[in-house]
Amino acid sequence: MRWATAKRLFLLAVLIAVTLAAMRYTVPERIGLTSPGSKFRDVIAPVQNGLTWLGRQGRYIISLPVSMVGAAERCQAMEQEIERLESEKIQFNEYLIENQRLSALLGYKKVMAGNYDLLIASVIGRDPGNWFGTIILNRGFSEGVKENMSVLTPEGLVGRVIAVSASTCEVLLITDPRSGVGSLVQDTRTPGIVEGVAGAAGIARMIHIPNNALVEAGQAVVTSGQGSLFPKGIPVGKINNVQNEPSGLFLSAELYPYANLNNLEEVMIVTFVQPEAITVQPETTTVQPENTTPGAGG
Amino acid sequence: MQFILYLLLLGVIIILQSTFLEIVAIAGIKPDLVMLMVVLSGFLLGARTGTFLGFAGGIVEDLFSSGYIGLNALAKMAAGYLAGGAGERLYRENTLIATIVTFIATLAGLIVNYMLLLYLDITIDPLHALLRVALPAAAYTALLVPFVFSYILRRFQILSRDL
Repeated sequence: MRWATAKRLFLLAVLIAVTLAAMRYTVPERIGLTSPGSKFRDVIAPVQNGLTWLGRQGRYIISLPVSMVGAAERCQAMEQEIERLESEKIQFNEYLIENQRLSALLGYKKVMAGNYDLLIASVIGRDPGNWFGTIILNRGFSEGVKENMSVLTPEGLVGRVIAVSASTCEVLLITDPRSGVGSLVQDTRTPGIVEGVAGAAGIARMIHIPNNALVEAGQAVVTSGQGSLFPKGIPVGKINNVQNEPSGLFLSAELYPYANLNNLEEVMIVTFVQPEAITVQPETTTVQPENTTPGAGG
Repeated sequence: MQFILYLLLLGVIIILQSTFLEIVAIAGIKPDLVMLMVVLSGFLLGARTGTFLGFAGGIVEDLFSSGYIGLNALAKMAAGYLAGGAGERLYRENTLIATIVTFIATLAGLIVNYMLLLYLDITIDPLHALLRVALPAAAYTALLVPFVFSYILRRFQILSRDL
């Protein structure tokens, strides 16, 4: 063997040995913070990052003219798809809200089944003016609706039926100036009459409260049931403020109705009341005065 | 024929007013479209026509709604007369003037409406009536004038040219 050949073989063996040693040294479980490979990766990472970005930009620039072919059609198709999906989303939201509303009505109907016979009705119209507060429901005497029946939502009293046709009935809201509801302050059992202010104003007033009664803002007012057309204990509204009546003998209080009379869609007509109907607790925690403002037109 | 069309249009407006307009009600107040139609008709056609159309429009509305026949008829008649009187004295082809006249005539009509309610023993606190019903409703109704006035004016001009 010639000297040169031996030298080459030796160098090859050294190279193989170094490589094998390097392989042993760099097996994954032994890579640590001191690994030269790891440090190298850290060093070249920004360069790699930059090059990758450049590559992507280059590919984008090169492929842009190609991708533009048919882009307008695709864009239009996507816009139509977005519009369709948005429309579907709105529809699904509507179903969701309707579902929640009807579930609440159904739940309330089940809870109150022992006390009242309730008939669910939809609001189909309102008084066109701003003075009165009346609504038209899609139930009439063919479904057993009669004059003076009470109308409720799970939140509270809505009003009473004042006129009935075969398939519709008209309801006088508690915010109508012609309405009067025998009521009492729930905490103190102080009696008074809740009358409407103006249909569009969306508030009611409790009048004829005895001068020495302990009445203050935030207290719940419920129907008294005594000598009234309405069943006892139906939540009517929350007192907003109290003032002296001009005569000086009584107090009067402004009320925000619990039922959102401005946004009524479904309501319940009380078609029958059990003689020993229990008192309903007003859902004071779920009703915000700000949301119960303006009532029906009228 | 035109009067029948007017009544039909009123019917459509009243149905809209009792259904669709709830959506655009602000704090429970909705614009009075019948009043708007009466006032603008009176403003463009004169006091006599305004009074008549106001009465007719009000009667249709009364038949449709509250049960007090004549309540809206008298109130809208007053508004139509006032708007007609203003139209005979002021420049008619200006949207701003029409808006101001609509506001004042509507407010006057609603005040007449309020006084008639008192006459019917329906008591509403005067402050509430003015601040929470009459003023907001008049303002809301007048705010619609810029959107419809030029169209209505053009229609009236075409009609009067044909006649």
